[in-house]
Amino acid sequence: MGSSPSSAPVYLPDSNQERVKVLVAGPFGIGKTTMIRTLSEIPSLHTEEVMTDAAAHVDELAVPDKKTTTVAIDFGRLTIAQGRIVLYLFGTPGQRRFKPLWSDYARGALGALVIVDTRRLADSFEVIDLIEESGLDYAVAVNQFPESPEYDEETLRLKLDVEDHTPLVICDARDWDSSLNALRALSAHLVSRAGGSL
Amino acid sequence: MSPGPARRLVPSYLATGGVGAPEHSRFEELTALQATGRSALPHHTPAHQRLLNLVSDGGLTVMEIAGYLRLPVGVVKMLAAQLVSDGHLRAAAPLPDALAPAINAGRPDKALLEEVMHGLLAL
Ligand SMILES: Nc1nc2c(ncn2[C@@H]2O[C@H](COP(=O)(O)OP(=O)(O)O)[C@@H](O)[C@H]2O)c(=O)[nH]1
Ligand SMILES: [Mg+2]
Repeated sequence: MGSSPSSAPVYLPDSNQERVKVLVAGPFGIGKTTMIRTLSEIPSLHTEEVMTDAAAHVDELAVPDKKTTTVAIDFGRLTIAQGRIVLYLFGTPGQRRFKPLWSDYARGALGALVIVDTRRLADSFEVIDLIEESGLDYAVAVNQFPESPEYDEETLRLKLDVEDHTPLVICDARDWDSSLNALRALSAHLVSRAGGSL
Repeated sequence: MSPGPARRLVPSYLATGGVGAPEHSRFEELTALQATGRSALPHHTPAHQRLLNLVSDGGLTVMEIAGYLRLPVGVVKMLAAQLVSDGHLRAAAPLPDALAPAINAGRPDKALLEEVMHGLLAL
């Protein structure tokens, strides 16, 4: 895959750029990696970060006799504005047990795209809470899977308990235009949030 | 029988030659690094050299380097700090200084957000 050491690196543009990140957040299997691969100009990469303590008392990820767990963060890159800006998309796991890593994820991020699935909206509650707690603005992308029930927007807002100004867009993470549309909705929202009374 | 998760071949503290340069904290995950072209010094470990080789022909961020080299981000920062102070790597902050404080203070700079928005619309 893209992270094989033998694969030739795709270098940054030669020009000076500003490099910024956006989080693509949600529970496992929701489409984070898919969206990052769809949008990224480089084969997506990942890093593995060791998280100490927090997972020791929980579930399947934790090795029983160890107080650490490894969290894989996948990411991709998208160059815009004639090479003046390079946007990094960071796939960030949404479970509260990863909370210790969230200050790092959130630091310097422009905002977050939260992916949800109407079959299991509650699975995204934790990540929405984490994002709100970290003070990031966000938009919601509703990925549609074959069995996903369709709700009207009002119902969806009510179920997710997101504010009226939070963009909510239907998305197919496998599709470039659709994923780009979700990212555009987020970025327009970020502009409007930056402009308002703070 | 596997005794458990595989360990890295080189423990983090050895990959850096046993030196944890304190100034590595000024490197961000999106700091860009590129080799200056100087040849490696005797105290440079194989990990230092792999990093230098990776960015000998162009720039990459700390995060990307961690991905390609399969090293934790913190280790890449330590390796990079040493190589920058030795004069083997050039580092560029993710944002010009004028923008960085606004981002780190929580609210990204509006002009930057607008440029991102227009950049995405132009794709
Ligand atoms: N129908 C549909 N399937 C999707 C979509 N996004 C992802 N998938 C599929 O869902 C599965 C999990 O996606 P993945 O990106 O690995 O999820 P992650 O765990 O959040 O990174 C994969 O089989 C994808 O092909 C989508 O928008 N629509
Ligand atoms: Mg994934």
